[in-house]
Amino acid sequence: MEPKPRMLAILDVVTTLLFLTAVGMVFFYAPLEAIMGQVQRVFYFHVANAWVGMLGFMVAAIAGIAYLRKNDRKWDIVGLAAIEISFVFFLTAIISGSIWARGSWGTWWTWDPRLTTAAICELVYAAYFMLRQGIEDPDRRARFGAVYAILSFISVPLTFISIRIFRTIHPVIFGGAAASGSSFEMSPKMLQTFMFSLLTFSIIFIDLLWHRIRLGKLADETEALRLKTLQ
Amino acid sequence: MINTLILQAPAETTRYMIAGYSVIFGVMFLYIVSLIVRSRKLKQELETLKELEQENK
Amino acid sequence: MESLPQAEDKLGTNGSTLGVGQFIRSVTAIIWKDLAAELRSRELLSAMLVFALLVILIFNFALELDAATRSSVTAGVLWVTFAFAGTLGLNRSMAMEKDRGCLDGLLLAPVDRTAIYFGKAIGNLIFMLIVEAIVLPVYSVLYSVNLFNPGLLLVILLGSIGYVAVGTLLSSMAIQTRTRDVLLPVLLFPLIIPVLIAAVKGSTGFLQGVDVADIRPWINLLLVYDVIFIAVAFMVFDYIVEE
Repeated sequence: MEPKPRMLAILDVVTTLLFLTAVGMVFFYAPLEAIMGQVQRVFYFHVANAWVGMLGFMVAAIAGIAYLRKNDRKWDIVGLAAIEISFVFFLTAIISGSIWARGSWGTWWTWDPRLTTAAICELVYAAYFMLRQGIEDPDRRARFGAVYAILSFISVPLTFISIRIFRTIHPVIFGGAAASGSSFEMSPKMLQTFMFSLLTFSIIFIDLLWHRIRLGKLADETEALRLKTLQ
Repeated sequence: MINTLILQAPAETTRYMIAGYSVIFGVMFLYIVSLIVRSRKLKQELETLKELEQENK
Repeated sequence: MESLPQAEDKLGTNGSTLGVGQFIRSVTAIIWKDLAAELRSRELLSAMLVFALLVILIFNFALELDAATRSSVTAGVLWVTFAFAGTLGLNRSMAMEKDRGCLDGLLLAPVDRTAIYFGKAIGNLIFMLIVEAIVLPVYSVLYSVNLFNPGLLLVILLGSIGYVAVGTLLSSMAIQTRTRDVLLPVLLFPLIIPVLIAAVKGSTGFLQGVDVADIRPWINLLLVYDVIFIAVAFMVFDYIVEE
């Protein structure tokens, strides 16, 4: 693995600073929400995580298309990196969303379209990893991964819409306010904290993606040498 | 009349906030650690393989 | 050395209609092959059918299918049945290709790759429709529910098309992995959730005599899904079967 590029080192520092600032804003700058209390603060990072999850999925789908057309190994590495990171971030989003729901509305799960779609994305990723696991040939593994990433990414908006329509016609019986989703007024300071969190996490995504891609290249290099020497 | 002027205090949900953020920070931390650990292991393996390759020559 | 017109005739080429004519011929040939094979052995249909009927039976004990809840639950029961029986069909259909070396043979033939996809997909669709055509009357009789509702049949058709479009793509991938059969449901089910939701809600709507305007969104969703994924299959199938 080549030594850490200067840009990446700088990005690491920037990311850390942004993250610390965001944390500060969430706990000290954003006001206390009138009804839900402290737990509402979870909202900022919860949504940011979900946003990054979606971003990762999109990057993976694009990388998939790129791999199929260019047949260049590096796109497969990008795709896998994006899906792995997206998996982690969606997981955080789901768990934090569940805790937020419990704290705000007393229910551990709301079948609201966003949370449910995130859960389905996690299942898709699990399927993605299982698919790759079951293939020996690296080229086929990359190709099938690319195809599945594309197919599943296309299905996500359709899934979201279908759950949305389902919910408007078929409201959940319990959890009144929870059923209608996150509904609280956002004051200007809250909005600023929210937007800043989104920005911070987008940068975090790029930083982690870069690191994960480097890891992927290292893994490839090691694998190649392993096959060569252990003949 | 005073009753209508008294506003309800926000719910006491601090422990949920703490739980939520523990998860958020925790998972992020664990993931970064896993990246570092995997990176180290691969580098080690690469070194070993390179030595093997040298010996084989 | 044959004269050019003679050679063209043999290949079935014909100027601008070359592509489409040849395509349709290939697709039909593949469908016919599958149907003929199935007619002889009947292993695919019998497996799907027995399985579907067993599932319906199990549901009788698992759920309270009394008269009141029946209308709201029927669509769900039917679609769960179709989804699982469909997986069986998809798996076996592809497995037969792979195991008998037919897939390789097809790939070597001068046939457009996408024609293979359409041939298999339509074949799978036909098998699925046959199973549905048998399950529906049986369910009707067992639970005294009238299922001969044109709207319902339309929804079942559209849903099956979407299911098979994606299912054929995924099964052609799954068959080339180590885990094969087990992998298909895992890959397929998250992707067909829109189909399941729309099909169940649409079916229930028609069964309960809901105003067509309210069912419209579901039908539109099914149509959009079908069109999108058939188009994507067109673009992506080549990459799945290339060597």
